[in-house]
Amino acid sequence: MSRNILLHPTLPSSIQLVLRRAGYETLDDLSSTSAEGLSKELGIDISDAQSIITASQRPPGPPLSQSLASLISRSQIFACSYAAVNTALGGGLPRGRILEISGPPGSFKETLALDYTRIFVEANEEVIFVDTQNMTSLATIKKTFYNSSAAADYQDLIRYTHLHTLPDLMIFIHNLLSEIHAKTGLLVLNSISFPFLSHPDVQSSKRTALLEKIHQVFLQASALNNLTIITTSQMSTKLLNADGSPGNFETGAKAVMVPQLGSTYLPNGRSYRLVIVPESRTTGQDTFA
Amino acid sequence: MRLESMIPSIPAELVAALDHSCGIRTDTDLLFSGSSLDIIKKLPLGTVTLSDLEKFTELAAEQASVPGHRGDEILADIGRISEKHTQASCGVKELDDLVGSFGDSRVFEISGAKGSGKTALALQIVIQRLLADADSCALWIDTSGDFSAEMTAQLVRYFDITVSNKVLERLQVSLGFNIEAVHDVLEALRISLSSSRAVGPRVQWIVLDSITPLLLPSLSAVSSQGHAMMTTFMRRLRELSQTFGITILVINGTSAAAPFNQSSAFASTIRKPALGPSFTFMTDCTLWLSKMKDMPDSEGPFSVHVAEVFRSRAMRSKTWCTFRIRHGVLSSTSDL
Repeated sequence: MSRNILLHPTLPSSIQLVLRRAGYETLDDLSSTSAEGLSKELGIDISDAQSIITASQRPPGPPLSQSLASLISRSQIFACSYAAVNTALGGGLPRGRILEISGPPGSFKETLALDYTRIFVEANEEVIFVDTQNMTSLATIKKTFYNSSAAADYQDLIRYTHLHTLPDLMIFIHNLLSEIHAKTGLLVLNSISFPFLSHPDVQSSKRTALLEKIHQVFLQASALNNLTIITTSQMSTKLLNADGSPGNFETGAKAVMVPQLGSTYLPNGRSYRLVIVPESRTTGQDTFA
Repeated sequence: MRLESMIPSIPAELVAALDHSCGIRTDTDLLFSGSSLDIIKKLPLGTVTLSDLEKFTELAAEQASVPGHRGDEILADIGRISEKHTQASCGVKELDDLVGSFGDSRVFEISGAKGSGKTALALQIVIQRLLADADSCALWIDTSGDFSAEMTAQLVRYFDITVSNKVLERLQVSLGFNIEAVHDVLEALRISLSSSRAVGPRVQWIVLDSITPLLLPSLSAVSSQGHAMMTTFMRRLRELSQTFGITILVINGTSAAAPFNQSSAFASTIRKPALGPSFTFMTDCTLWLSKMKDMPDSEGPFSVHVAEVFRSRAMRSKTWCTFRIRHGVLSSTSDL
C-alpha cells in the first residue's frame, strides 16, 4: 500500500489536496490524529475524516511480487478426460491460465469446454458459462451431469447466460471483474468469435481497441483473481503468398486456417492456443500454438 | 512536514500558538512566512523568546534539509560496486562494449519494434547476472502479462541446469497494470531495502517490461499532466537506482518517425522510441534494437539483430553492433 497520500487509489482528489495543503504527506502522518480532530482542522465532514482514518490504518495487502519458483509450482493442474489434450498442455491446464480452443465446425470444441466445466463443478467451484451461438443448451449441460457422481448441486454452481451481439459481449467483459468472487473458478466463453462476426462493419482500429480491452480484463481476472478462462473460436481462412507474406485471392499461393480473432486478446505469457484438426469423422489431432 | 510531528523538540504550546495566531502549520510555513521578529509580533506576549524561536526555526530547517554526502565516500562506494559488476557480461561482448557494461547502477532504456529482441535481451542480462552473483536478486515488473514463467524457467535451465532452482527463487515477478500499481511495487521495494533488518539476497536488477502502456494513455497534446507523471516516475526510478545501487532496464515501445529517424546511423530506421522526445533524457542510455533478417541454419533458425545506441551519457552515440538470437538466446555474430 503506498504510503504517499497523493498516490492513494481510493481517496478522492479533493480530500488529497486538502490534506496536502495542511501539510500531511504520507499516511503515517495521520496515525496520531483522530477523526474529530481531523474534521475540525480541515473543515471537512466527519464521515470523510472517518474514511481517511480507515484508509490510513488498513494493513498492507498481500506481497506484491512472487519468486519465479513459486509461480511455477503453486498452480493446480486440471486434467480433462482426453489424454491427447492433457499431453498437449504438458499435463493439464493450470489454474489462472487462458485456453483458446479453435477448430472447424463440427470439431469437439464445445464438448471439451463442457468437460472442463464438469471437472470444475466436481471440484465444487463456480463456473460462468456464456453461450453466444446456442450451441450448448441447458439440456446439453444437464446431460453432461446426468452421470456425474459428485455434482449433485451443479445447478447452483453454473451461472449460464446468453449473449449474441458485440455490445452485449463488451458489456459482459466490462462487468466481469465485479461479477466474479472467491468461489468462481472457471469462465467459459463459447464462441468468442461469433459476436465479432455478426458485426463485419466494425473498423479494424475499433476492433483492435475492443480486443485490447478484452486482453486487459482477461489479464486482470486471471492474474489477480486466479480465474481460469476457456474460450472457443471458429476459424477463418487466411491467404498467403508463396513467400509467406499476407496475400489475397489473386496473389495467394496457399491458404491456411487460423483462429478468427488473432492473438491480440490473449495475454502472451499465460495463454494456450489449441487447434483441433479433424482427420475423419471421429478422429483427429490437436496441435498447439 | 507538520510541526506537530516535531513536538518533543518544539514545545506543544508554541505549535498550537503558531497555528492559531499565525496560521503556521508546516515547516515550510515557519521558514518562509517572514523573519522570526515578524512571527513574534503576531504571537501573544510571553509565548516564546526571540532566541528560542530562532533556535526552533533552525531545528525545523535542519530536519527539512537533505543530508550531505562526502565525495570521497561516494567514490569509494562506486569503486567497490563497479569492481563486482564489470566481471559479468550479458553474453554478447560487442553489446557490453557498446554500452560500457550493463552494471554500474544506471537506468537503461531498451526500445525497438515488436520482435526486435528487447525482452530477450533484458531476460538474458538478468539471468547471466543472477548466475554470476549468488547474492543478488532481480525484480521483473510485467505490465502486459507477456511474461511466461515456464519459458523463463526453461531458459535458466539452458544456461545452467545445476543451480537453476536457486536462481528461480531469486527472480521476483510482479504484475503492474497501471502506474499506481508500479509505484506501490517500487515503494514496497524501497521500504524493504532501507530497513536495516534486511536479510538474504539484495535486489540489484529491476526490469520494467514495457513502460509504454503505463504512461502513453496519459500523454496528450492539451494537458501536461501525463508528462508530469512520466517525469516523476522516472525521477523516482533514478533515485532508487542511485540510492541502492540497482541497475534498471526500462523497455519502451515505438512510434512513427517521419521521414526517418535522425538519431539513427541507418536511413532505414523509420520508427523512434515512444513516449516523446524528452523520455530519452530521463534515462542514462537509450539502446535501439531492430531485426535485420531470419536465417535458417543446421542448428536451428536464428535471426540477426542490430543494436544501436541513440543517446548515452557515458558512451558515444550512433554506434552499433549486431547480434544473433536463436531459441531466445543471444549470441555474438562472430561466434561460429
